[in-house]
Amino acid sequence: MGFLDPRNLLWGVSLAVLVAIYLRSRARPTIDVSSLMLFDEVPAPSASMRQVRFDLLFWLEAAALCALTLAIAGFFVRIPERPAHGRSHALVFALGAGMTATESGSSRLDRAKRQALDIIADAHPDDQFSIITYALEANLAQAPTSDAKELRAAIGKLNAIAVATRPAALRAALMRARGAAEIDLFADRPPPGEALGDIATAGKFVFHQVAADEANLAIVSLDPGVPRASKMRVGIRNFGAHPQLCDLKIYLDEKDAAAQTLMLAPREQVTAPYDPLPAGGIVHAHIASPDAIAADNDRYVLATAAVPLHALVVSPDPAVRDDLARVLLAVNPNFRIEAVDPASYHAASNDSDHFALAIVHDSDAAVHADSTLLVFPPAGASKLIPGLTIDGTASGAELHGATQSGGNGLPIGATRILAMPEWMEVTSSATLPGKGRTPVAAIGQGENGSVGVIAFDVRDRMLLDPDHLDALVGTVDLIKRLVTPANVQIVATGTYVNLPASGPAKITSPDGSVQTVTPDKSGRIVLRPLMAGRYKVDNGKSSVQVFANYYDAIESDTAVTQVTSAKSPQRELASIPAPPREPQIQPMLIVLALMAMLALLAESAMLARRAGRWGMRHV
Amino acid sequence: MLETRAFEPEYLRKLDRLVLGIKRARSVRQGERRIGRVQGLGIELENFKEYTEGDDLRFLDWNAMARLDQPLIRTFRAERQIEITALVDASASMGMPTSDDKLGLGLAVGASLAYIGMADNDAVRLGAFSVRRGQMCLETTPFHRRRESYLNFKDFAGAVQAGGETRLGAAVDQLLLERRPRGVVVVVSDFLVSAAEAEDALKRLVAANHEVKVVHVMGEIESTGAYPPGLYRIRDAESGEMREAVFGPEAAAVCRRKVEQLVERIRAICAAIGVVYAQAFGASTLDNFMERELPLLGIVR
Repeated sequence: MGFLDPRNLLWGVSLAVLVAIYLRSRARPTIDVSSLMLFDEVPAPSASMRQVRFDLLFWLEAAALCALTLAIAGFFVRIPERPAHGRSHALVFALGAGMTATESGSSRLDRAKRQALDIIADAHPDDQFSIITYALEANLAQAPTSDAKELRAAIGKLNAIAVATRPAALRAALMRARGAAEIDLFADRPPPGEALGDIATAGKFVFHQVAADEANLAIVSLDPGVPRASKMRVGIRNFGAHPQLCDLKIYLDEKDAAAQTLMLAPREQVTAPYDPLPAGGIVHAHIASPDAIAADNDRYVLATAAVPLHALVVSPDPAVRDDLARVLLAVNPNFRIEAVDPASYHAASNDSDHFALAIVHDSDAAVHADSTLLVFPPAGASKLIPGLTIDGTASGAELHGATQSGGNGLPIGATRILAMPEWMEVTSSATLPGKGRTPVAAIGQGENGSVGVIAFDVRDRMLLDPDHLDALVGTVDLIKRLVTPANVQIVATGTYVNLPASGPAKITSPDGSVQTVTPDKSGRIVLRPLMAGRYKVDNGKSSVQVFANYYDAIESDTAVTQVTSAKSPQRELASIPAPPREPQIQPMLIVLALMAMLALLAESAMLARRAGRWGMRHV
Repeated sequence: MLETRAFEPEYLRKLDRLVLGIKRARSVRQGERRIGRVQGLGIELENFKEYTEGDDLRFLDWNAMARLDQPLIRTFRAERQIEITALVDASASMGMPTSDDKLGLGLAVGASLAYIGMADNDAVRLGAFSVRRGQMCLETTPFHRRRESYLNFKDFAGAVQAGGETRLGAAVDQLLLERRPRGVVVVVSDFLVSAAEAEDALKRLVAANHEVKVVHVMGEIESTGAYPPGLYRIRDAESGEMREAVFGPEAAAVCRRKVEQLVERIRAICAAIGVVYAQAFGASTLDNFMERELPLLGIVR
């Protein structure tokens, strides 16, 4: 028991007033009688009666005052939670890649499903269950129902995907489940305390950790190098607590390129170098050794062709031309780069040469290339990309990149305010002062080839400035994607892929399943690969291969997370599969108010009775 | 106050048919010391007697002497007026409990009896007695004989205030000192005095050849002990003596028993000395008392 607001106990001082009134009333009233001879046999009060005369009215008033004071002070009691019928349960499942970790033929998700089914079987038939999943986002897999058959079917349909679970998705899932009387979370690792909020302390949250120390190997990185020039490198990591043999195979355009067996120490990460590839193409690294998570055993990368590529850099600033040329060579040393001033380009070049890539900085020069990247485009450049709108220039912005943490972005200089067409994929954004978030980098497949846009200015050696690493990374990624053949895309799982399509397209997933999708009004289909591997999109006229890579250092770590801090709520969650229910706080406001009301009613009845018998003078 | 009730026309109409029951003497010749008619001047023929020397010749019956040749004197019965005194106890005890209006009831009873007494044109007066500051205070109205003068009692009844002690013996002493002719004395009191004092006072009234009637007056709360329950300090209205008492059902029963004992004691005294006793308990019973109870008790017929 306790008080919600103990300060209001000061109202109890009113009891002192009542006691004072009572003591005053105890000063026995004097009444005149005609003669004492009529009362000489009337018993006199005893001594004890004089001290503790029982005055029912006083005690009723005292009880009413006490009850009201306790009610105002928020008196409550803690009562054990009573098993009730018709309770609502929320079963929350993590569906990240970690839940696919398999041991002895059973995945973590399978174990979670079995535990959930046991909970449903043990529950009262009137209890309602809802099923919520989370990975990239939170989804309601099953609305609240008490139909066990429906619930079993919904649980059976759950499948983990090859992505890392996002903390925001967990928070969203718990937010959806907040209304339930009991929340059961099935995940392979304890949720962060900040994601739980007050749910963990509300006594209705149960964490079911479905994890075991399975051995897992993952391809961390795959650098194809430069064919016939630089070595290919493969990064491999052992997440297990024991040494692991890694049978690594390398394929180039689905042909064996290399094979090696490595021994990795516990939790060791190695980078294996290989001879330069003989030619460009799709490089596929594969770990053939069986392990817990299969999604991180394959990785695809595109090795650029060994043939020279002709690139054009147009910028009025010589320093920018120099910087962009350096970046291009860093991406692919086979580039033959022509850097020109916009004025001289118009005067001398025309379109006699064919360019694989053209980068146009702060110019509206009309270039002809397989791929075009506009950097800090002026207003006149909007004609180069259909649907692109340039609304002016902001003097500064904050770029939100991968290396930035928290809500602060990377300060960048002058930035064009762009409105991207629908068919372009925004790859980066920035915050403009007073105007909110705006896209600053986008890529799309136009009618004349791939087109990319970078809104911020790269003058003043921005791309080579270590403090503006995000600007460089974004630029390099965009260039890489622009020089990638149009029929090949290599993306991370969970990202959206926009593909042009003139009609219904057939998508073949890595597991062999096929689905047909219809393009939207912009003539595009959107693919979101949730499995690692190759997707094939065929619309009858052309075929596009989308290679989805998965790797996440946290998600792929199959070691059971042990919370070290005893004070952390995570330890309690992890070590106690089903903690005892916290006693419920039961406010006594209504009970106390009823008691006060009853006391006052009883007092009123007594006073009315007394008035009827002795007159109002004695009330 | 209840005494005003005794002067309301509606109430008085109920009393018109009542007569005060007085044991009147038939004759003084029989040597009886009775109150009542005596031979003398009058208009109603009573008897004849032989003429003797000294008789008034105006009453000589000439017709009878002519027929009988014997002088006969006619004798008449003369109506003799009786003095009726309604003596009301005005001590402090008659004022308690206030809600009972015991004094008002006593004055109403006394005035009502006076009104009834006026039916025979008897001389009636109303008196109140109590001891104030150690002195017996007996206040009476002049005698009134006719009902037209009944309202003269109203001012007196309204002016009487309860206070002082009850000294019934002293009041009787003062009354007898007036040396009035024998008559009727109606004592209206709560008789919250010692039995010896009450008996002594009543005996002396009887010894003075007064026909004594007693009306025992008590309040409703007083006679039932229906005081509000609780712990009280009670104070004697006359002596000021105090004590503590717990009122409740048990105390009420004790009070009722004490009142019964008092009634029996006064009733026994009255019976022993040939005094008519009546009781009027409760102001609300005035009408019932005057119409029903008094006739049954023989006071009014």
